[in-house]
Amino acid sequence: MAGEKMDIEVAEKQLKSLDHSEQHYFNSYNHHGIHEEMLKDEVRTRSYMNAIVQNKHIFKDKIVLDVGCGTGILSMFAAKAGAKHVIGVDMSTIIFKAREIVKVNGLSDKITLIQGKMEEIEMPFPKVDIIISEWMGYFLLYESMLDTVLYARDRYLNKDGLIFPDKATIFVAGIEDGDYKEEKIGFWDNVYGFDYSPLKETALSEPLVDTVEMKAVVTDPTPVLTLDLYKVTTADLAFSCPFDLTARRDDFIHALVAWFDIEFTACHKPIRFSTGPHTKYTHWKQTVFYLQDVLTVEQGEKVECALHNRPNDKNKRDLDIKVEYRLETQDPNRQAGGACLYKMC
Amino acid sequence: MAEAYPRSDSESVSSSDNEEDWLNKPGEEDEDDQEQVSVVSLFDEKVFSDAPAMLAHCKDKFGFDFLAVRDRLGLDFLGCVRLINLVRGSVKEGAALPEQITAGHLADDKLLIPVLEDDALIFCLDDLPQPKKAGQQGAGAETAKETQAGGEGPVVDELLQKNARLQAELEQLAQQFTNYRLAVEQTLDKRWGVDEESDKAEASSKAAATPAPKKKDDSAYYFESYDHNIHETMIKDAVRTNAYRDFIYANKPLFAGKTVLDIGCGTGILSMFCARAGAARVIAVDNSAILDKARENVFHNGLENIITCVRGRIEDVTLPVDKVDIIVSEWMGYCLLYEAMLPSVFFARDKYLKPDGLLVPSHASMWIAPVSDAEYVAENVDWWREVYGFDMKAMQAGIYTDARMTVMPKEAVCGEAHAFRMLDLHTAKVEDLVFEDPWRTTLSDKVEGLDGFLVWFDCFFAESREEVVEAALTAKEWAAGGRERVAFTTGPYDTATHWRQGLYLIDKTKAKEIEVGPGKKLEGKIRYAIQEGHARGLSIRVTWGLEGQDTQAQTWLLN
Repeated sequence: MAGEKMDIEVAEKQLKSLDHSEQHYFNSYNHHGIHEEMLKDEVRTRSYMNAIVQNKHIFKDKIVLDVGCGTGILSMFAAKAGAKHVIGVDMSTIIFKAREIVKVNGLSDKITLIQGKMEEIEMPFPKVDIIISEWMGYFLLYESMLDTVLYARDRYLNKDGLIFPDKATIFVAGIEDGDYKEEKIGFWDNVYGFDYSPLKETALSEPLVDTVEMKAVVTDPTPVLTLDLYKVTTADLAFSCPFDLTARRDDFIHALVAWFDIEFTACHKPIRFSTGPHTKYTHWKQTVFYLQDVLTVEQGEKVECALHNRPNDKNKRDLDIKVEYRLETQDPNRQAGGACLYKMC
Repeated sequence: MAEAYPRSDSESVSSSDNEEDWLNKPGEEDEDDQEQVSVVSLFDEKVFSDAPAMLAHCKDKFGFDFLAVRDRLGLDFLGCVRLINLVRGSVKEGAALPEQITAGHLADDKLLIPVLEDDALIFCLDDLPQPKKAGQQGAGAETAKETQAGGEGPVVDELLQKNARLQAELEQLAQQFTNYRLAVEQTLDKRWGVDEESDKAEASSKAAATPAPKKKDDSAYYFESYDHNIHETMIKDAVRTNAYRDFIYANKPLFAGKTVLDIGCGTGILSMFCARAGAARVIAVDNSAILDKARENVFHNGLENIITCVRGRIEDVTLPVDKVDIIVSEWMGYCLLYEAMLPSVFFARDKYLKPDGLLVPSHASMWIAPVSDAEYVAENVDWWREVYGFDMKAMQAGIYTDARMTVMPKEAVCGEAHAFRMLDLHTAKVEDLVFEDPWRTTLSDKVEGLDGFLVWFDCFFAESREEVVEAALTAKEWAAGGRERVAFTTGPYDTATHWRQGLYLIDKTKAKEIEVGPGKKLEGKIRYAIQEGHARGLSIRVTWGLEGQDTQAQTWLLN
């Protein structure tokens, strides 16, 4: 017990020596509220459980690496699925809880938990057969752990090794969101009778993580980024994608909404889940980007858009996002176009 | 703030002793013989009397040419410090050095932290030979030694002085970075907390935050932490903002022609209410960066001739007036006293408020009630015992030691609420904020078992300082008392506010079960204390027991 306490002290010291933004990132995961939220996200946890536990033939006798293991739930699924050994790695001090949890569940001999950065730790196995990880952040990439997964892949995954999940796709659609835009953005025009416009700009530049109802979706969804985890590199996470959004009905577009789908294609029967507005709630919700203009669209019309995303220079877990949009119509009164800059931080 | 990322670990900011070391050592050596320096080898335990000799040793024995690397990369003083620490760090950890060290390897600011304490090599850096311009990169240690031998006397003095100056600068920078780090860290924590709040996660980020003992200046974080998300939450808390608006607008004669001080003005909304109500002058004080937005807001609304925005701690700023007629402040924290802004209001009251001046709000009372909510306990405590087939009770740590900020349904309250303390803000003192008060309740027929206690506060806006608010009066009763008065509650019987309520769960693994039932009476004490090492945190202790019988106690932290 004393040894463990020392471990925690060492871990905390280690955390303190990190760059502050990194420190915040890892510290925020120490709070157990976030783990509770993630575990209680049934879509997420159940998808992982099914992908792992229903594929015992894939996991049997394999060496498995769980990147960012948190409370250790995925590691325990893998152990239950027959893995020869599971290594769970997490920088956050939550790993000490994970250790207790693994112990009370009698899996200590099957699971080794290592506190530290993936890039710095010493692995008990030179190579692993399977990497499992729940690395996704809001808008897939915000505060995401993907770079760490890719590092682990390049350094530790066997040539024919598997990644769970191995495919991620970001989708975008246009939404009618007049009431909420008014509440979130228009609010600052008149605050108890005062003009608060200085705070409006800030509000516009921050993508809003919230749930969007399916009926608000005005256009067909379009994929803007697909990641194949076997091939993707960190450089691919800065991307630009032109795309069209086709209106499904006559309506207004106040904002774009983005979400992502996740697939486990290595499974016997592929398992996927979506975080979109058309399906069950997840803790990722959706991400809404309010536009400066309101677009008035008729059914079948196309809005030409482009989305540019790159990690912030100063804090790579923050994102700088630019959305360009243009509506070309015969009706000059409805023509509109512009570009908005957003920062997820 | 975005550019101000900390470049250094707090560990690297040495104690003041150490600082003196840094600053004095070269000076002392001025008088001493230069030969007293002990330079430890980069790669082994050997000690040398000067840096060039040591570097020559490293080159001969370990094939590492420090000067060549320095010159190839064009390293300045800090660059050399990084290089030294990179090498020493690698050697210490038994890690191999990169085959060719590049600027990228030196980018990590952790490398500014000395691996070796009082590393003499760092002190001697300026004594090393400078790169030869004419392509003679990596001039050997031989040359270095010669250069140094030839440069004793006044040159050495000069170099040592320069060295000392650079050390001091480095130290100062490290200190600055640490301060930024603390501030930024807290901002981010808070922001994260706000996100979680909007997620309606029951576990309050504030309450569940890791209680890292932060002995330094808590207030720095506190002020920097007020980003606009929190202001949005506060301004959109209609219970709160409406109460101030209603009181100020309904009492325009009180404000007409008066001088008002707004402490912790945030976006300036309360100041603007006062200005619209006819105040002659409003001084809006806040120590956070939000004050810039307040200034803009004031300007956009054409009130800059009435409202003066002042940035700083109320204890430190110089106000443009000696005395004010009214102090307006929204200082209330979780469970009323968390974040401890009230002493600042008392300070301002004692220093600036005229003897007959008014405080808005004027009174605040604190309430406690017993809670029985099997469903809440099932979802938040028992849930961890079986998570997808696994036992995760390890995740319950803190559930009984930290207050949980949450909005409880009134059905969860299983007995009369008890007002345990009423503060008349015109007369209350800092000492009144640390106390132990008795409390009692009669259990209702809703009681199934006793799961914990709920704590909240009510806030009252009296029109004169003579008015007395009786301790046991709720906001609703007081507001309805004859004429139109303004008061609000943060309790479970009315619209929820951003303050939510404090839920204190009884640790049933330790507590003795008591026989509860409708009509039974509970009594005990509630103690508020400041948490050690965290001036804005609270420690709250509740004792309880059946009337006339033994009581038991439990303490919770709010930080």
